[in-house]
Amino acid sequence: MVGNTLNKKLFKRMDVVLILAAAGILVTSLVIIGSATHINTPSEERYWYVQRQGIFAVMNIALAAFLMNFDYKMLAGFRKKLYIFNIIMLVAVMLVGHSALGAQRWIVIGPISLQPSEFSKLIMIVCLAGMLEERVGRLNSLRDLLPVAAYVGVPFLLVLKQPDLGTSLVFMAIFFGMIFVSGIRLKLLGGIFAAGLAAMPVLWHFLKDYQKMRIMVFMDPNVDPLGSGYHIIQSKIAIGSGMLFGKGLFHGTQSQLNFLPENHTDFIFAVVGEELGFIGVALLLLLYLVVLWRGVQIARDAADTFGRLLAVGITSMIAFHVLVNVGMTMGIMPVTGIPLPLMSYGVSSLTTNIMSIAILLNIHQRKQKLLF
Amino acid sequence: MVEKDGYDGYNRRLRVLGMLMVLVIAVLIGRAGYLQIYEGEYYAGLADGNRIRIIPSVAPRGTFYDRNGQLLVTNRPGFTVSLLPLTSPIKDEVIARLSQLLGVSVEDIKDKIAGHSGFNPIRIKTDVTPDIVSIIEEQKELYPGVMIENTPIRDYVLKQEGAHTFGYVSEINDQELEEKKADGYKSGDIIGKFGLEKIYDKYVRGEDGGDQVEVDVSGKPVKRLGRKVPVPGADLVLTIDKDLQTAAEKAVDARLAEIHASAAAAVVMNPQTGEVLALVSRPAFDPNLFAHGISSKDWAKLNNNPFHPMDDKAISGEYPPGSTFKIVTGTAALTEGKVAPEEKIFDSGHHWIIPKGNAEGEALGWINFQEALAHSDNVYFYEMGNRLGIDLLEKYARMFGLGQRTGIDLPYEAKGLVANREYKKKNFEDGDWYLSETFDAAIGQGFNLVTPLQAAMVMGEIAADGKRYKPHLVSRIQTQNGEVIKEFQPELLSELQVPANVIRLVQEGLHDVTKFGTAASTFRGFPIDIAGKTGTAENSQGRDHGWFVAYGPYDNPNIVVAVIVEQGGFGSQSAVPIGREILEAAFHVGRYAPGAQQDAKEEGGANP
Repeated sequence: MVGNTLNKKLFKRMDVVLILAAAGILVTSLVIIGSATHINTPSEERYWYVQRQGIFAVMNIALAAFLMNFDYKMLAGFRKKLYIFNIIMLVAVMLVGHSALGAQRWIVIGPISLQPSEFSKLIMIVCLAGMLEERVGRLNSLRDLLPVAAYVGVPFLLVLKQPDLGTSLVFMAIFFGMIFVSGIRLKLLGGIFAAGLAAMPVLWHFLKDYQKMRIMVFMDPNVDPLGSGYHIIQSKIAIGSGMLFGKGLFHGTQSQLNFLPENHTDFIFAVVGEELGFIGVALLLLLYLVVLWRGVQIARDAADTFGRLLAVGITSMIAFHVLVNVGMTMGIMPVTGIPLPLMSYGVSSLTTNIMSIAILLNIHQRKQKLLF
Repeated sequence: MVEKDGYDGYNRRLRVLGMLMVLVIAVLIGRAGYLQIYEGEYYAGLADGNRIRIIPSVAPRGTFYDRNGQLLVTNRPGFTVSLLPLTSPIKDEVIARLSQLLGVSVEDIKDKIAGHSGFNPIRIKTDVTPDIVSIIEEQKELYPGVMIENTPIRDYVLKQEGAHTFGYVSEINDQELEEKKADGYKSGDIIGKFGLEKIYDKYVRGEDGGDQVEVDVSGKPVKRLGRKVPVPGADLVLTIDKDLQTAAEKAVDARLAEIHASAAAAVVMNPQTGEVLALVSRPAFDPNLFAHGISSKDWAKLNNNPFHPMDDKAISGEYPPGSTFKIVTGTAALTEGKVAPEEKIFDSGHHWIIPKGNAEGEALGWINFQEALAHSDNVYFYEMGNRLGIDLLEKYARMFGLGQRTGIDLPYEAKGLVANREYKKKNFEDGDWYLSETFDAAIGQGFNLVTPLQAAMVMGEIAADGKRYKPHLVSRIQTQNGEVIKEFQPELLSELQVPANVIRLVQEGLHDVTKFGTAASTFRGFPIDIAGKTGTAENSQGRDHGWFVAYGPYDNPNIVVAVIVEQGGFGSQSAVPIGREILEAAFHVGRYAPGAQQDAKEEGGANP
């Protein structure tokens, strides 16, 4: 069967390095979530988080494996529908969303709380890749860029309105990563950054009080030692006290005694730092580097511009997440509440990231040489 | 390499992107190395040496001032004994020692420890005396983990006076915490539970500060890591007039004692602005009791009082309006042309369709509108009800704002009830409407219910030529330094859709009440022209409730008063004297005339 041989060929084209790196992170994640949620202390619900994350990981991987049979290029055809779906989803979260900590981010469906802004990032990458495909190498003036900016602007503003500052910053990172590789004129890019820098004081006024607070706290955690400054200080203590070898799994005093807040979600990296030490931290970050590096390679070898841009968008997204999240736990980035890809507990984030890796693998499978 | 899309810069740019990725990871690894290897010992020390505690310093709540800047509610410094949570449990002997010192049972202390999570101090007893503080400070080694916090204690300087208006504060409960978590409320926070304290809590509470300290194994602070200075809450400048409030309280107390009644309420407002000048509710409570946790004995006393001291009767007590409702009935009848002002109706002591009559069977003979209102003639107003029908009565009652909250800035305001067919149908097996019920409604009995505030509003609308202003208690919210955060202007809610001459006629009728009518004896010789209306509300539970509503000066009113005395019998004997005294105080006449002020105070004091 032709289809069969093609599938076999495709299978041979699996990016084993990427799969192993991603799997390594995922397994670490389950172990650390277990530790952060006190799996070793007897209680009725001690397996809840790990089980849930594990089940959703397996389901997502199965779905991803099935989707390997489809060519990622099909996504380009759904671009418009996906874009509209994205907008509807983000508006819906504003209308019916559940709020937590001052932000309306959740839609509750049965037992699952979904965070649409997580999915919207990946959808946006697909849409933007489709749009930029035809404009590659022709982004020379502000006029060329304007439609692209407007295209990203709508979902960006919707996310910002939730308000989810972190995710909207991810949108910007994706946008710049993709237009950079699309060959935007460097002068234009430089101009945009300069303008952005100049506009900072104006944008400051649009931030909510708690967002301003977070940025001020980032500058100086002692501004709010009882609120978000507390998170940063405790997180730094956790990581720092891990020293070279860590205190050992389940032995992190900071996380086990709940000094460390949100230690299975946004601050999971601090648990790694505390319990596995510098060695664990470095290894984990190197695993991320492998994923990112493969992402760039896959972009380079992609069969078409759409795939290339898709890979760039995904890689930019993951890189930005890693930078901001890990940076936040170590006190070099503001607290924005964006999760660590494949590590943080959370169904929406997990799904988005596994699907992202799956798309990278898909692009790799169908790289130039295979398809003549 | 030239691609199909004609752009040849991919490889270069992707290489830059790749370098960026390496850079990101390198920076993060570098930072981790710095924290974990270079600074690792320091952080390990923090983590081991029993880490970090937060010692909050509670922000003082904003001060309440009266309209003339007189102090109403403030804070005084207080000491709180707390335990700092440690990783190792606090020894039983320490708890026992503390229990003895503070007079708090060992079980209570253990409950507090068990019920506490997080790392804020566990408050064991607030507002302890200085000698307890010095014992703990001097014998520190006997009290490891025990600390003294400086906590401002709410001080209601007028004690019971204005208690229902000012409200009280106490520790946030689980339900409130759940609701308000997003607004930054934490467990252990003191919040406003009642009155203005509750409504304006977010302005008044300020922002707690505190120190983040490093403590040693015994819980002793060794180093301060961070500090946040508490921001005091905003001050409220009320519309309340402290002197008038005090006078009203005394007038009510004196009368209640005299006639052996227990419950009453009074409202004093400016009808031209909606500013509330005084609010009284009896029986009252001392809000200071709540400031440091009310004892169960005091709480039981409040709870078991059959007259519900914790209810603000001025705004949440619902009473039949009695004859004060004739203002509404009269306005309706004149406006709808159901009666001409001069038309005389014969009062033979009871109505000719249904034999309902005046209290004590009085018969006034042929009387016109003004006379009927002045003498509060039931037969005349039964006939008005007969001519109007219940639907028009309902319409006008609602036009006056009855049956709905006035929107005053106090919690738990009641709506009252306007008698209407729908209500009967919904709530009674026999849902048909009968003429006798219309009769009852026309003189303010039957289903009609109003709050004292609503009664004052109705009178105020007549005083202000039909304008209904939203009642409010706060004129200004300002910072400690006097910067205005929010200012409240008079807010016109609605206007009576009634001809000016009708309002004039009603005003004249009400004026006659204090000249020749039901309140004339009490107001004989009163130096200011007053319009008023007495009322007696039938009470199925006991003696009738007495009402009095009034405004003045008659020509240019800036004061409206409503008084109710629960089970006070006739309004003219219970509520009217209170009303008169409040009006004296408001206009600084009689016993409250400038020269006589001292006497008035003494007299009030001697008459508890």
